[in-house]
Amino acid sequence: MSKPLPNASGHFRRSHADEFRLIETGFSRTMLALFIIALVSFPFLFSSFYVDLAAQVFLASIGALSLMLLTGIAGQISLGHAGLIAAGAFTAGILFKEFALPFWVTIPAAALVGAGIGVLFGLPSLRLRGLYLAVSTLALHFIVVFLGGEYETRRGFSTGILIDPPVVFGYEVYSTRAWYFTLAVAAAVTLWICINLMRSRSGRAWKSIHANETVAEAIGIGVTRYKLLAFVVSSSMTAVAGALFAYYRGFVSIEAFSLYLTIQYVAMIIIGGMGSLLGALLGAVFVTLFPYIIEALVSVLPGADRLAGSVFAFNYAAFGIVMILFLVFEPQGLVGIWRRIRDYFVLWPFRFKAMGGRK
Amino acid sequence: MKKICMIASIVAASFHASGAMAEDALKIGLTGALTGPVAGTYAPAVEGLRLYVDALNAGGGINGAMVELILQDDGAEPSRAAANAKRFITQDNVVMMINASLSSTFAPSIAETSRAGVPLMFAASACPQEVFPPANANLFCTTAFGAKYDSHAALQFIEGQAGSDIKIGFQAMAIPLSRGEIDYAEGVAASMGMTPVAKEITPPPAPDYSPFASNISDAGAEWVWSWAPWGAQVKTFEALRRLGWSGSYVAYAHLEAESELARVHDETFYLVGANALFTENLPVMQTITAAAQAAGSSYAANQLTEGWIAGMVIEAALKAASDPGDAGSVRDAMSNLTVDLQGLRGGPLVWTETNHFRTTQSYRVYRWNAANNAIETVQDWTSFDVE
Amino acid sequence: MQFAVNILVLASIYALIASGYVLIYRVSRVLNLAHGELMMFGAYLLVTTAAGLSSSPVVAILLALAMSLMVGGLVYLFLMRRMTGEMALAAVLTTVALGILLRGLILMFWSASPQHPRDTLGWENPVLMLPGDARISLFAALLVASTILVYAGLFAFLRFSRWGMRMRAAGQNPLLAAQRGINLHAVFALAWALSTFTGAIAGMLIALDSGLDSTMVMIGLKAFPAALVGGLDSLLGALIGALIIAAAEVGVIKYVDPLLADVIPFAVLVVMLVIRPWGLFGTREELDRV
Repeated sequence: MSKPLPNASGHFRRSHADEFRLIETGFSRTMLALFIIALVSFPFLFSSFYVDLAAQVFLASIGALSLMLLTGIAGQISLGHAGLIAAGAFTAGILFKEFALPFWVTIPAAALVGAGIGVLFGLPSLRLRGLYLAVSTLALHFIVVFLGGEYETRRGFSTGILIDPPVVFGYEVYSTRAWYFTLAVAAAVTLWICINLMRSRSGRAWKSIHANETVAEAIGIGVTRYKLLAFVVSSSMTAVAGALFAYYRGFVSIEAFSLYLTIQYVAMIIIGGMGSLLGALLGAVFVTLFPYIIEALVSVLPGADRLAGSVFAFNYAAFGIVMILFLVFEPQGLVGIWRRIRDYFVLWPFRFKAMGGRK
Repeated sequence: MKKICMIASIVAASFHASGAMAEDALKIGLTGALTGPVAGTYAPAVEGLRLYVDALNAGGGINGAMVELILQDDGAEPSRAAANAKRFITQDNVVMMINASLSSTFAPSIAETSRAGVPLMFAASACPQEVFPPANANLFCTTAFGAKYDSHAALQFIEGQAGSDIKIGFQAMAIPLSRGEIDYAEGVAASMGMTPVAKEITPPPAPDYSPFASNISDAGAEWVWSWAPWGAQVKTFEALRRLGWSGSYVAYAHLEAESELARVHDETFYLVGANALFTENLPVMQTITAAAQAAGSSYAANQLTEGWIAGMVIEAALKAASDPGDAGSVRDAMSNLTVDLQGLRGGPLVWTETNHFRTTQSYRVYRWNAANNAIETVQDWTSFDVE
Repeated sequence: MQFAVNILVLASIYALIASGYVLIYRVSRVLNLAHGELMMFGAYLLVTTAAGLSSSPVVAILLALAMSLMVGGLVYLFLMRRMTGEMALAAVLTTVALGILLRGLILMFWSASPQHPRDTLGWENPVLMLPGDARISLFAALLVASTILVYAGLFAFLRFSRWGMRMRAAGQNPLLAAQRGINLHAVFALAWALSTFTGAIAGMLIALDSGLDSTMVMIGLKAFPAALVGGLDSLLGALIGALIIAAAEVGVIKYVDPLLADVIPFAVLVVMLVIRPWGLFGTREELDRV
């Protein structure tokens, strides 16, 4: 089945064309419209601090979606995500700084570099699985970071490469609001590509490789080709996210791409819920906002002032604890919670699904 | 969606709760590396600044207005520094922002504050090129160490001690800032007639510094100049001594200097620094010690100097401003400011229209004197004009 | 000669840390990315016991070691036990989360200042002269000796003792082991305790030799390629792997460029993954089991 059954009770697919619709029911159309209206009006209703946070969420979504495609869907564990983001950011930075190339050249260039590195990251996957693959991508991460550091130092950009705001259709993208929309569009495009990939031949191939490589090979799927394809697609999207990051923050510095960044992205897809694109989005929202929420909650705790000196250590520890709680008590991730809530409404007034229903 | 709304409302509610407490206070936002592996360099300085502001408020604040210091952790991550800066400017309407973090957070901090016209002061973090003449109107720096001047001071000291016919080794950490400075120092040393024989760049944490030290020792270096975060400086030195190297080692006196000199107690381990050490026991140092004790601080008083100086500068700037509640007015006051540092440095800190580092940078050289069992000043304040 | 000593010391550090990765992986197939933090935690425990018991240094060290043994067991009982049967990546991420928690706790309780437990205990760190004009500090020598002792102890324990046999059995086939009446949870808890214990020995000796601050956790990660090159489920492999990585690193520092010191362990690792992914002494079929 290329697509799960619709999410509403009482709706059935009647024609072949129905199978191909992205939006199936009037209700979901209304919800989508409302959601888009909410997204568009958000930057006009809230202060630029929140708009900036939302923009960060969009940027994180791109990275999380591409990692989800690779790890959650195709089952290829990667710990080189920060290295890929760095590669994209440095491509944009170097092309801008050395050759003064505009936005519409550097972004596709980043995608190309990402694809190239994707092949490189993907090659070990032909021999290695699981943990060993993860470690080989980790090794590549260190190599990318080393090269980036060498470039910065050798060229004398020791505090990072500054990048001017990009000009799109004669309009300079600089304000928080402009970035909000730019990144929202980029995230939406990424999501759209991912949804369509999932419904296509390659998406099905990836899922079957994830489920069982030997069986996938036996039913005629070119495992080598599709594994490499997963790496290439995911890496080029990640590199674009890196290039956007470079423009968004206005600079590139190798110190921004630590292993911690990779951990954050892995946390996004696991906390969000493995194997689900929605999970990647929820995970991106959660992990990006989490430090701020913790901080806000701690500051309203009684006696927070007394912590003063160690409050940040406390936040840090709290981040660890909540992550642990999530992993231990909600292995399905946020998307598991989401499904339970949705099923409650879809099935109401019944409590359980009929036999043979969707999982 | 529901979840997002819920989270957003929690965040919104709590930010409003914390923001509404002191409406007419003068707000200063600080983004710093308060957690993470590099926190040791910045957290004590931030603690010093916090204690100073507490003392300032207890004494009536600035003409009756309280100063509210809003601390935000960025864990040395650029994205979080940018978000912090945005928050300070749009939510809190700060009159000044302070950066006490790794150089990777500089660019976003600079971009945000420049756009809003809020002055940005670097305290405890490295002074960026833009604060040196000709200075960017918006950027200021109180941090003791200053790239290039430190190397000049150290190399002049070495020349004064041993002449220029020496073999000199260098040590840096594999971060761009440190490497850049050591590369510069290598050139200066060569132009002074010294023979650079080794340049060891150590990774941020090396499990064992002996392999690096072996190279310096094997190259026959008689002097070594090291400019890196404290751990790399002292661990390279200790590894050199363990190898039986008997040369002299000059390093920068970071905030750990005082306790570490007493721990290392080696007579040819020289520290070049711009801050006075607490062995002098000046009145201001007694004040700092008392404040640290009263607050039960987890850092030794002698590590708080950097933050205390930043506090003195903030107080002076706010007092000098015609309207301390207005960022533009505070910035104008900072562009023409003289702060008496009461002996914490070699002279007052003077900022002019074109110089936001300081007009004169003074260095002292310290070492451990085994005979007296105390820290000794080998060379008193030597000044360099900053042009 | 100094060159050889440098390699030996670095190899001992890596081997001692890598034994912790191997112990846990071999028994429960979990990659413990919090090992660096647990090792640092052990060293900080020594800072506290040293401050409390500065008059009797040996008691302070033994107490800190006993505490880290306990910490390791507790981590399994309260945390990792719940992750058995979950996706491998989720278990790895749990250890990452544990690492974040530990770092926060360490910063809260011990602040970010560098610590020097050796001075608190009032010990010197004299330099020992070796033949060939090589030198080694006392605590570096102790580190080498501890590594030999720990490995000898572990080999003997796994080979001859009853619990060691149970650990090997659980590692080879958990299902059969459980059916033969081996308490898997007890075995796993023991592996975690031992791993934290050996890690803490490494952490404490490094701290005693050259001081302690929050950058120590990165050293834990650097030992990881050693465990992998040798084969993640082989103690002998960890020993040899550590020697190879240390030799490559010290060699590069001496003859090529010290800047490459951070990259070379991972470069060796990549080469190894290409030629022999399961490591020098690892078991081949492990590949599919993660």
